Amino acid sequence: MTQRQINVIYRSCWTIALLIAAIPFIFPFVWMVSAGFKSTTEIFGTPTLIPREWRFQNFVDVFTYQPFARQYFNSLYIAVAVTALTLVISSLAGYALARMRFAGAGLLMLFFVSALMVPEEVTIIPNFFLIRSMGLVDTHWPLILLPTFGPHGVMATFLMRQYFLALPKELEEAGKMDGLSRFGVWWRIALPMSRPALAAVAIITFLFSWNLFLEPLIFLSSLEMFTLPLALSNFNDSYGLPLWNLQLAATSLAVVPILIVYLIAQRQIIESFALSGVKG
Amino acid sequence: MAAVTHTNEPGANRAPWLTLKYREMLEAWLFISPTFIGFLVFFLGPLVAIFYYSMTEWNLLSQQAAFVGLHNFNDALLVNPDFWHVVRNSVIFAVGLVPFNMALALTLALALSRPFFGVVFFRTVFFAPVVTSAIAWAIVWKFLLQGEGGVINQMLALVGIDGPNWLRDPNWAMAAVIVTRVIKMVGLNMILYIAALQAIPRDYEEAARLEGASRWQIFRMIIWPLLAPTTLIIMVLTTIGSFKVFDHIYQMTGGGPENGTLVLAFYIYQQGFKFFNVGYASALAIIMFVIVMALTLVQVMLRRKEME
Amino acid sequence: MNVVKTRVAVSAMVFCLMSAPTLAEDLRVTVWTGNDAHLKMLNGIAESFKENHPDVIVKFETVPVSDYTQKLTFQVAGGNPPDIAWMMEDAAPAFENAGLLMDIGPTVKAAQGYDFDDFSQPAMALWQKGETVYGIPFSTSPFMIYYNKDMFDKAGLEDPLALAAKGEWTLDKFQETAKKLAEANPGKWGFEFKDGEGYASRMTHALLPSIRAYGGDIWTNGQCGFDKPEAIAAVKQLHDMVFKDKSIVPPGEQGDYFSGNSAMTDNQISRASKMPEAGFNWGIAPLPTGPGGESPVIGQAGLVVFEQGKHKELAAQFVAHMTDKENVATMAQFFPPARKSVLDSEAFINGNKLVPAEQMKNVSSAITKGRVHPAHEKAPQILAAMAPRVDALWKPDANVEDALKGVCAAIQPLL
Repeated sequence: MTQRQINVIYRSCWTIALLIAAIPFIFPFVWMVSAGFKSTTEIFGTPTLIPREWRFQNFVDVFTYQPFARQYFNSLYIAVAVTALTLVISSLAGYALARMRFAGAGLLMLFFVSALMVPEEVTIIPNFFLIRSMGLVDTHWPLILLPTFGPHGVMATFLMRQYFLALPKELEEAGKMDGLSRFGVWWRIALPMSRPALAAVAIITFLFSWNLFLEPLIFLSSLEMFTLPLALSNFNDSYGLPLWNLQLAATSLAVVPILIVYLIAQRQIIESFALSGVKG
Repeated sequence: MAAVTHTNEPGANRAPWLTLKYREMLEAWLFISPTFIGFLVFFLGPLVAIFYYSMTEWNLLSQQAAFVGLHNFNDALLVNPDFWHVVRNSVIFAVGLVPFNMALALTLALALSRPFFGVVFFRTVFFAPVVTSAIAWAIVWKFLLQGEGGVINQMLALVGIDGPNWLRDPNWAMAAVIVTRVIKMVGLNMILYIAALQAIPRDYEEAARLEGASRWQIFRMIIWPLLAPTTLIIMVLTTIGSFKVFDHIYQMTGGGPENGTLVLAFYIYQQGFKFFNVGYASALAIIMFVIVMALTLVQVMLRRKEME
Repeated sequence: MNVVKTRVAVSAMVFCLMSAPTLAEDLRVTVWTGNDAHLKMLNGIAESFKENHPDVIVKFETVPVSDYTQKLTFQVAGGNPPDIAWMMEDAAPAFENAGLLMDIGPTVKAAQGYDFDDFSQPAMALWQKGETVYGIPFSTSPFMIYYNKDMFDKAGLEDPLALAAKGEWTLDKFQETAKKLAEANPGKWGFEFKDGEGYASRMTHALLPSIRAYGGDIWTNGQCGFDKPEAIAAVKQLHDMVFKDKSIVPPGEQGDYFSGNSAMTDNQISRASKMPEAGFNWGIAPLPTGPGGESPVIGQAGLVVFEQGKHKELAAQFVAHMTDKENVATMAQFFPPARKSVLDSEAFINGNKLVPAEQMKNVSSAITKGRVHPAHEKAPQILAAMAPRVDALWKPDANVEDALKGVCAAIQPLL
């Protein structure tokens, strides 16, 4: 056998192994959508990938058993609000940490780094009482404030700082010469140059908020206020009977649009996560 | 920098104490203040408060609180057998998850770091669960892992294996949760490894190959040491992530069977919000904080030693 | 400036989208039903309250039933309690013990034409402490056997209603019938615990009817009852049915009665509303009797008023209105009443559109004789402490007696 033949065989083996490894990553999605079209009886019957009887009605019923459209909208606007807020404040703070010299910077960085290590579960109890004292229980405020100002916000700040540090200073210096204020430099020069970092922060923040579970679980109690993950985990009729097929239909409705966006922009999204991971 | 002192800058000559240095400092703090104030209010404040909470006996429902000193810690560490059981579960979860996740992530990254036909497809597939909500993921796997009607077991039956009732069997529930969690999260670590692998100059490898090194030798002697910083970051992040796991457990097992998947994060939630023991739950939260911090430090120090 | 604008815009947007806080003259009632017919009826009751209280708007807020008590806890602990709430029987003692519930006795007893003594005494047991009344039951729902008539016919078996009429509907007959049903319908089961739960959730609900039919109880007066001979015999029988006869849907399986996958289940009368869409002939019968005689078990839900509420006196008046004779009779179409006058009425027996009068008589009798599930202020802890032991019980090779002793060892300190 020539070296070339060995390489071909070697490659094919890898590809086959990868294809097999890919099954548990793809199959849950396929099964979820397929089961979303089935009746409860069929879900627990002999498994078939193609439903024997297509129940499109499931996807209509999802909206009548819970205010699902409202819940969908809640998730969407909260994620947008968290993303917008995070972009603004993390790029401001990240810029200051990258470009300005000030007393307390070292200590601040230390605080921020340690925040990254602290799980949300540690601070959730005092935060519950804090939000309570603000009278914001069963509103969407805690779902916007806590992720924005918690460890995730700090992570976004670091990501922005890292990016600003790598930018050439010359343009900003020139901007100052032209009489721009610090704020002007940040807004007109630094931000436009850091679109990739802003996009990365936007993507991971949006998904972070979209998938948030512990905070909604603790702060929300009215059905109309629920976000998607909470609604999905609670898919029962008014007697508490689980609606298996509707739960899967609703899960499909929640997951598939995100997956489609992901498939379209997979390169960008994957790179964003890569950036967020190497921030340390 | 000195050139910045323009006369047309309004603040520069108004107040003599507002020198350039102070001005920059003021500006910096203005830039940082939204993040910093939020950080104080929603993170640092609560972190300090929880130390006080942990020394009270505080009923969530009646809102009656009494100072009890270190009673809650004593209760957790010495009296309540549940606590050590829960810590054990958390450790099993981390010990099972972290190496499995990292080994799989590295294997996939090695396979996918060079371009070949289909590489984009595979990367996209392995990363897809990362963008999916943990709740949705857990909902689907809970169905797939059903006892007799479950898809996994029906497939196993085809090859003559009588699969267990995965999530109800104490011997299997933890394993099932770990594996589904790894599938969900491995894409993230894979991407980090791919980025690190692509940053390694190809000449190193070429040179080694010319000298007759095997694939394994190249990996062991060249690639692995160069990946060390990435490995450290991944290890720290994955370990912390494994201690934080909540939604996955909440949806798949609720801590059962026989408390076999009752992990620390879930136990805190249960004690604080289901049994109304705010003080005890706060003590648990502090213990969790200490464990995570200690583990992080140990990992950082170990790796530093190894690198020297 | 742009930042300021963005932030103002964001907060304005956020503010508009968040639901406005409730107005001062509103009464908030937290309920777990989202059913249109239920809500229509409740709103009708709220409308009639306006005759005497024209300014009061009563708003019913639905909280999902599966996590209801937890969500109510978050509302109360979060400083945002409703004025009135539906409360499940197992949650009531914890809330009462924390001093959160108002004594509504004086208000309801003073209400015109209320006739407090009309409530059946056993039904009030859970909601009274001495002279204090901290809740009024609005639903006192007995557990009944629902059966799939078609599956019985197919197996050529007499249905539970006929057996009960002859006095032959015993636990042994139940076991035998369930086994035959499972054999006659491959891939299906003879019996499913309420709503397919019973193993990881509603652990005690699955066991209680049988244990009581044997003459025991799960606990009484701070004494664990699971390890008593009656309970052991009862649970052994159920265990055999699950693992030997394979006639009860085992843990981790779905044998949904309402989709026709189990021939029988135990459930409450309110579930009858799910039956028209089930697509098979059905009926309801009493729970099987055992060596200890009959054992009607009832599930209760009550109306409570929160001490922290802003309008508690008004809230108590609304509870009095909602549970007066007329409205209890109205609600009886969905929620079985605890008022004797309504229970005995022809309207109640004949008024259920789904259940024939003959079967409703059994319902009525089960309510009068019924006993509620034992309550405890530490119910959540007790259930959590019990869970791992109950998990150990529901295994094919489990030693039932040892497992139940384990249950008692785990929960006795909490009782």
